[in-house]
Amino acid sequence: MLAVKMLLRSWRGGQLGLIFSSLVLAVAVVTSVALLAERVERALIKESSSFLAADLVVSSSVPIDPIWLERARQMGVRTAQKASFSSMTFAGDEEMHLASIKAVESSYPLRGAVKRSTVPFATDELDIEVVESGPQPGELWVDSRLLPLLNIELGDTIDVGDGSFNVSHILIEEPDSGSSFSAFGARILMNWSDLPASGVIQPGSRVSYRFLIASSEGQEDNFDAYVDWLKQQLDVHDRLITPDEAQASIASTMDKGRRFLLLAGSIGVVLAGIALALASHHFANGQLLQVALFKSWGISANRVRKLYFQQIILLGIAGSVVGLLIGWGFHQLLISVVRDWLPITLPAAGSRPWITGFATGILCLLGFTLPALWHLPAQSPLAVLRRDTQAKSLNSLVRGSLGVLAVAVLLFWYSGNLYLSMAILLGFAITAGASIGVGLVLLRLGKSYGHWMGSIWRLALSNLWRRKKPSLVQMVGFSGAIALLMIMLVVRTSLVDEWRWQLADDAPNHFLINVAAYELDGVKTLVNERELETAGWYSMVRGRITHLNNQPPTEIAKNGHESLRRELNLSWTTDLPEGNKIIQGQWWGSENADNNSNNLAPVSLEEELLHELGLTLGDTIRFSVGGLTFDAVITSTRSLNWDSMTPNFYFLFPEGYLEDYPRTHMTSLYIPAAEKLLVNDLLRSYPTVQVIELDKIIDRIRTIVSQVTRGLEMMTLMILGCGILVMFAAVSLSMTERLQESAVLRTLGSSRRLILGVQWVEFTTLGMMAGLLAGLGAEFAVAMLQRFMFSLPFSWHPWLWIAGPLGGGLLVGLLGVVYSRRAVTQPPLRVLNSL
Amino acid sequence: MIEVNNISKQVVTSEGTLDILGQINLSVAKGESLAIIGPSGSGKSTLLGILAGLDMPSSGTVAIDGEDITAMDEEGRAALRAGHVGFVFQSFHLLPGLTALENVALPLELQGIDNALETARQYLQRVGLGERVTHYPRQLSGGEQQRVALARAFACRPAILFADEPTGNLDTGTGEKINDLLFDLNAEEGTTLILVTHEKTLAARCGRRLELQAGRQVETLAESV
Repeated sequence: MLAVKMLLRSWRGGQLGLIFSSLVLAVAVVTSVALLAERVERALIKESSSFLAADLVVSSSVPIDPIWLERARQMGVRTAQKASFSSMTFAGDEEMHLASIKAVESSYPLRGAVKRSTVPFATDELDIEVVESGPQPGELWVDSRLLPLLNIELGDTIDVGDGSFNVSHILIEEPDSGSSFSAFGARILMNWSDLPASGVIQPGSRVSYRFLIASSEGQEDNFDAYVDWLKQQLDVHDRLITPDEAQASIASTMDKGRRFLLLAGSIGVVLAGIALALASHHFANGQLLQVALFKSWGISANRVRKLYFQQIILLGIAGSVVGLLIGWGFHQLLISVVRDWLPITLPAAGSRPWITGFATGILCLLGFTLPALWHLPAQSPLAVLRRDTQAKSLNSLVRGSLGVLAVAVLLFWYSGNLYLSMAILLGFAITAGASIGVGLVLLRLGKSYGHWMGSIWRLALSNLWRRKKPSLVQMVGFSGAIALLMIMLVVRTSLVDEWRWQLADDAPNHFLINVAAYELDGVKTLVNERELETAGWYSMVRGRITHLNNQPPTEIAKNGHESLRRELNLSWTTDLPEGNKIIQGQWWGSENADNNSNNLAPVSLEEELLHELGLTLGDTIRFSVGGLTFDAVITSTRSLNWDSMTPNFYFLFPEGYLEDYPRTHMTSLYIPAAEKLLVNDLLRSYPTVQVIELDKIIDRIRTIVSQVTRGLEMMTLMILGCGILVMFAAVSLSMTERLQESAVLRTLGSSRRLILGVQWVEFTTLGMMAGLLAGLGAEFAVAMLQRFMFSLPFSWHPWLWIAGPLGGGLLVGLLGVVYSRRAVTQPPLRVLNSL
Repeated sequence: MIEVNNISKQVVTSEGTLDILGQINLSVAKGESLAIIGPSGSGKSTLLGILAGLDMPSSGTVAIDGEDITAMDEEGRAALRAGHVGFVFQSFHLLPGLTALENVALPLELQGIDNALETARQYLQRVGLGERVTHYPRQLSGGEQQRVALARAFACRPAILFADEPTGNLDTGTGEKINDLLFDLNAEEGTTLILVTHEKTLAARCGRRLELQAGRQVETLAESV
């Protein structure tokens, strides 16, 4: 096939190198990111399942309907039941503790594993055993701190309700342990079949039931069908919990990491697209003579079109296949770096990343290369006799629009995110527009005032003006590349900064709550003795909701929402806590806090809770605190930052409303592993204090963040590679003409210094102008991305405006000089002959 | 074989309409050789382009083998050129990324001729470059490059060969050798040759000469040698 021959010959002649490498890079970037993103996403879902201990959970305030179990058995869906409740535990006649008990069926956990030990407060992995089921009947696995609380040893017997049980193991971690403030007391895991004999669950007992389900291997369809059926059965008592909800804080970090990968990948695609467009433009120019010859030999325009189209398709296929392979290799490399993200093996990716990668190659060629070659068949055969009869290339507006369209389709398809696509496109458009408009003015100024700066400058700046069209095309290429690299670096830096607190070694990892006023000094002393620092003490009052809009909640509503059944933590503050954001209504200022005539306390609610309780702004809630009641009116709603390890409150009041009620105190603090027994001492002296241990979760987040950060660094490097490629493509654009001129100057006796000096000044000037304009586009795009995609606060980046011109000038200048060195290192005749 | 009937060529410039060629009448029989001579800017290359069907006259007709090419569209003219017409250019127009052999073979391959490379090799041998087939244009001297171009032009066995200042870029000695080769091949292949030159010696080797001055036909000399 002639097209193959022509392609191979062009390849050998070096005309296709830049097109091919741009194409390969575009496909490789997209494939590697898409593969990684999909595999991590699949792993996340799987991992989240293990956080749930199941694929899906129904939480209910009533026992699970036996029909659900029967139907699941028929359809081959795995199930496990779990009941959570608080119950008093007794050891001997003296010791007792209100423990948080979970009774689980033998099939529990359906996903993930339980960690147990025979060493209290075990932290050493060697002491910890990972098992795939819960305790046997008659056994209890208990929280380490229950031992000092009840003054018992492993192997002792304790009483729960009417039953006596052997404390056989320490419970280190179960998949769905969670970190809720409503989990009271030490945790105990017991077997479901012991429930009847213990008699702890009586009519009216506050029990939360969970129905865990998971698919059996190879029966995913049955599972989906079962879930569809189950959804029809749910009523107000029941709530479906999906894996997404299971681990909000980790998911948020991972999600931002994933978004950054998408951003970096999208930028890579755009960069590779620009490189491809420039390289194709260059390639097309080199084909004009060939096409003119073809036509003089009687080859029709249609045949020429067909020949080039075939070559593009072949090139697209070859480039895409190589790109897919390189992308696969790079994604393996990325995975080897981030392997510790997840303790489980990454599941294999589906076909989508491969299709995405391949389609990127073809789409890039159609969007960038085809338009650049479009005019070739129209080349006049007369051009073999007269050089001035060249075919007009496709209108640059049309070509630009086709390129932008291809990029837009790619960006949107690839990221699925409109804001990201818009930000990158607009950022690039602003940069390109400014490059053409402002660039023209700058070039003109340079030409006008260059003569003041010596011969090299005068020559260089007038050259730039003389070649203003290619100069502007180069400037668009340079500034586009620099702007996109800046966008990526700025977003990466903001993300890493935002995560830095999570990486801080002394971020709070324990909460102490329910500290009574009379215990406060003692607890503070205990903490101070260990030289530990708290994040400050917060006061709170525990109260129940008794009325909503002067009506007691119905039984159905009570069953439907936990907040209506249990005591809630109410707190007060004048200033909006950090990480909270007002969604509706207004936050009270210090002056209007007590400015209401109805004697209603203003209350600010967490936004989601407001919806879940079916309330709106202006509704009233009656609280009962220790038998005393008061009414509050909802004046605002807030969103909370669950990533932060500071206390978050669903209900906040202004100062002056709750202070007279019996209050308790809470704080968060960092307890290093070596001081972990403080928890033990604390609970021994103050058994009513609740300690929430987040150290394991924080360790986990810290690992993930540092791995995600490393993954981002690698991606950043790869995209930098794309940027350099664009620079190369842009530099090579005018190189033939430059080398020709330099060789002529050299023949006329110009010094090496003058020739290289002129190239250096030309490219550095272009690079500096491009860097400056890139700062403009990058600042805009970053503002958009921070606002809409990463929820980061807006900030100016003055360094962009300094680093842009400096870095751009240096990089482009160096590349230009390296490229044009040939003009002075080889005899001028050889240079001219080789062009 | 080629009938030129009263052709003229005007182009529109910013300063008005410019007459490049006017009232050219000519007839070239099969196997004849014709030199178009005249000073620079006299319209020689324009006439060559029109005769070869690369360009269109503003008026008049050109017929090749009885077919009026001025009535055809570009596709029709291309079809007529295919396999009928060969070119040799002043600046050789070899493709820099292809070897000498590939440069010669390319038009044959485009015509779908089976043993294109073998034919190309034979023609390169005929022009004395049998040992240089794998060399790229940049590795060849100007004379050698023009020899490759001659091989490329004759390998397609065209009925008519158009040559535009074939020795214009070469020194006298090399030019002479190329001329010898051109005429030898022309004689062997029985090709109709139309060339543009301002070299009197080269023109003198053609059967007929057409002299142009400011786009006007000054004289057509019949067989003089």
